[in-house]
Amino acid sequence: MFSDISAQKEASSLLCRPASEDQGPVFERTSLAYSLCSERYTVGERSFSRQYAHIYAARLMQMRPLLSERAQQKWGQDVLIRKLCDLETGEQCCIVGTLFKRMELQPSILKEISEEHNLLPQPARAKYISETDELILEDELQRIKLEGKIDRDKFVTGSVIAIYGAEKNDGKFTVEDFCMADLPPQTPRPALSSDRFVLLVSGLGLGSSHADSMLGLQLLVDMITGQLGDQGEQSGAATISRVLLAGNLLSQSTQDKDASTKPKYLTKKTQAGSVEAIRLLDELLCQLVASVPVDVMPGHHDPTNYTLPQQPLHRCMFPLSSVYPTLQLVSNPHQAKIDGVRFLGTAGQNVCDIQRYSSMDNHLEILEETLRLRHLAPTAPDTLGCYPFYQKDPFILEECPHVYFSGNAPTFESKLIKGPDGQEVLLVTIPHFSSTQTACLVNLRTLSCEPVSFSAFSADDDEESVMNVSH
Amino acid sequence: MDELYLDNIDEYVNDQDKIVTYKWLSLTLGVHVNTAKQMLFHYLDHKRKESSAQLHATYLVSGKFVDNGQTSHKVSVIKEDQLEDFKSKMSLIVSVHVYSVQKALLKDSGPLYSVDYDAVKDNLKNCSRYSAIRCASAVPMSPVELQQTREVQRAPTPEPENRKPGVNGEASRASKPSAKPQKGIMGMFANKSAPKNQDSGKDVKAEQKEEAPVVDAPKSKPEAKANPMMNFFGSQAAKKAEQTVKQEEAAQSSTSAEQQRQTSKPEEKRVAAAAAVELPKDAKKDSRSKTKRLVDSDSEEEKMDKKKRRRIKKPEPDSSDEDVIPDSPQRMETREPSPSPKKVQPVSHSNQGNSEMKMRKRRRVLKSRTFLDDDGCIVTEKDYESESYSEAEDDVHAAKQTPKDPVPAKLPSSTKQDEKRSQKRTSANANKGTKQASIMGFFQKK
Repeated sequence: MFSDISAQKEASSLLCRPASEDQGPVFERTSLAYSLCSERYTVGERSFSRQYAHIYAARLMQMRPLLSERAQQKWGQDVLIRKLCDLETGEQCCIVGTLFKRMELQPSILKEISEEHNLLPQPARAKYISETDELILEDELQRIKLEGKIDRDKFVTGSVIAIYGAEKNDGKFTVEDFCMADLPPQTPRPALSSDRFVLLVSGLGLGSSHADSMLGLQLLVDMITGQLGDQGEQSGAATISRVLLAGNLLSQSTQDKDASTKPKYLTKKTQAGSVEAIRLLDELLCQLVASVPVDVMPGHHDPTNYTLPQQPLHRCMFPLSSVYPTLQLVSNPHQAKIDGVRFLGTAGQNVCDIQRYSSMDNHLEILEETLRLRHLAPTAPDTLGCYPFYQKDPFILEECPHVYFSGNAPTFESKLIKGPDGQEVLLVTIPHFSSTQTACLVNLRTLSCEPVSFSAFSADDDEESVMNVSH
Repeated sequence: MDELYLDNIDEYVNDQDKIVTYKWLSLTLGVHVNTAKQMLFHYLDHKRKESSAQLHATYLVSGKFVDNGQTSHKVSVIKEDQLEDFKSKMSLIVSVHVYSVQKALLKDSGPLYSVDYDAVKDNLKNCSRYSAIRCASAVPMSPVELQQTREVQRAPTPEPENRKPGVNGEASRASKPSAKPQKGIMGMFANKSAPKNQDSGKDVKAEQKEEAPVVDAPKSKPEAKANPMMNFFGSQAAKKAEQTVKQEEAAQSSTSAEQQRQTSKPEEKRVAAAAAVELPKDAKKDSRSKTKRLVDSDSEEEKMDKKKRRRIKKPEPDSSDEDVIPDSPQRMETREPSPSPKKVQPVSHSNQGNSEMKMRKRRRVLKSRTFLDDDGCIVTEKDYESESYSEAEDDVHAAKQTPKDPVPAKLPSSTKQDEKRSQKRTSANANKGTKQASIMGFFQKK
């Protein structure tokens, strides 16, 4: 626990008169070996003229051997692995393919155009699943409807799985069992002698209309930079060797959706909301990077490209902080090795998208599911914006991370899971800071994670307590 | 330690009615943050003993906090009256210290942020000077280092398919050979002007080629040498005279012949372009300063011009324009800003045309030619042709210039308008000097 480490130091109280020898303590920030492994998420040539079908083809091709192997592990070496075109009715076999979920409620531009009933636009939904959904398995050539022992609502389009069962006379495939690719192989992490921390924060939400969360953010910065607290706290903060900002640095309100539809003469004097917010972010980053290395990932609301993988924010937006070598602007799925511990994660778009299109609600559960599917973002490119890759699907997990995170979750959650081959992965959902005032600290030695929360009093605290009394 | 700081704090709190936070105090007095916290406590303690005017304080408490089975490290700023209450809720207290002292009772913690914000903003460059943590690796890079790291970052991104933007980017950099080392923000804005420069470079090229057949080479060579000097001294008068003469001559030469020449001389073009890339900047600058007074040359409109021009330009069969711009970075670094004279021509002569209405002017007009090609297809090519005219005979010209129109000069005034507008679109640079006559002027940003 961070608190315990910080409290161990001898209690030199700050509630006393300043001692005559003036100089306060200064701790050295622990620095760790760091290597960025995000090459696979950088998009060099940006050609959007290709079709998306290539991603699915590449995905299935890359995943097929993995799944065949898993299937043989699960159902025996002599299990019959068929392609759909060779399938014979009534024969027990295993098929590897990509799932497709036909969803009645899935928004479709074609539907909007073709429906000339002048119906009112459907309200935006939180979930798009319904009773009429159908699960279909596709391979390179054919598709087949699935039924049986497979949870229709849980799966999402784009996942590659292996199913076991038989085709019935009505042309549907009755699933008896299925398996996923499960965790990729992992290089063991080095044993560390001392506690070192990496702080994960997401959803700073700068530029939002209510500024009362700003003190919390400032407290966070002050804690990291060693301004706050007693000597113990400061020495503890010195072991925070890196800060990772996982997206949505800017608030959604900085995105002015009307800007493109409003007439120009009305908007000529207005400045984009993101301009001021980025300046604020620059000042904040400047304080941080002067004291600690920082990785900055873009998120859904940040000024970079929309489609995954989101490319790093541009340096020139940060004139103050970009002069420090400690500022690392990184891509959205972000992968890095910090002192031998492999971090991988996103700003949370992939998880939120699966949440909308499946029955799963818990971010941590979804995060684990993507790890089991061995795919970072199965719903891309179906419902999640994604660059049209064609030779390789970079979202397939080839190496198992030690810390697998996703940003902008409603609450903090973490869990250590163990893979079939002894992999150890810490799953972390990083809460939205502006709404929860919570960040999380990952201990690299123990691979555990704890939240750090900040609070300040506000005007309604008193009213609340009054209310509580009256009840 | 002398206790002068007590008086200091007293002045801030009571006389200036400030909210004094430990961080603000540390930055203001230049003391370590922990010392500042102790100073505030001492002051508070001192005043309480005096039991003079009432003071309010906020405290910072941090420690282990258990909520719903989830243990967390909690950092809170709380009011003095809630301090003991709050401390009792924590399962382990790591630190407690005075956060701020102020005269008024704070309703919410918003002001605490704004006070610190101003102080921090003034000290952004060394905001962690008084903090308790040093980071050895966080040393600001010098501009040179910055440049190097950026070059390294830029180099390994292979972008085979987006040649064009790359070219633009290079052009923009090339156009500022002596720019500051810090290119971050400038680079972004330079993009905007880059294509313009390129275009103007092309204009210049075209003009140059046109000249070639008429003016004999030896005559233009010495001028080329003399002119850079003049450019530096800003005296363009002599040059102008020469140029206008030449341009008139040039205008008389048949345009179709010129077009052929243009395509048949790629080698010369390359050389010209290399020089052209760096030059337009200077040329534009001095033209701007002059034309601004005459016409409100609005950037928005220029942009529009540029866009439209670019789109039309595409169908041009000779695509050698693209490779003309050098995209090797060393080249522009080694190149010295030695402006060759010809580049100034289009601009300077347009200036002149403005100041003296009677002078002959040249403009570039987009004309479409339709012909039957080898395969028997009807091909329509859009080309820029330059022609000369004078303001005085504009009306006559308008009629003359549109002989291909199905309705020749039926509405002289409106065709004139059209003419003007198209002229504006097609020749952004050469035309900067003319008066704003179109209705577009109404919708400009001022």
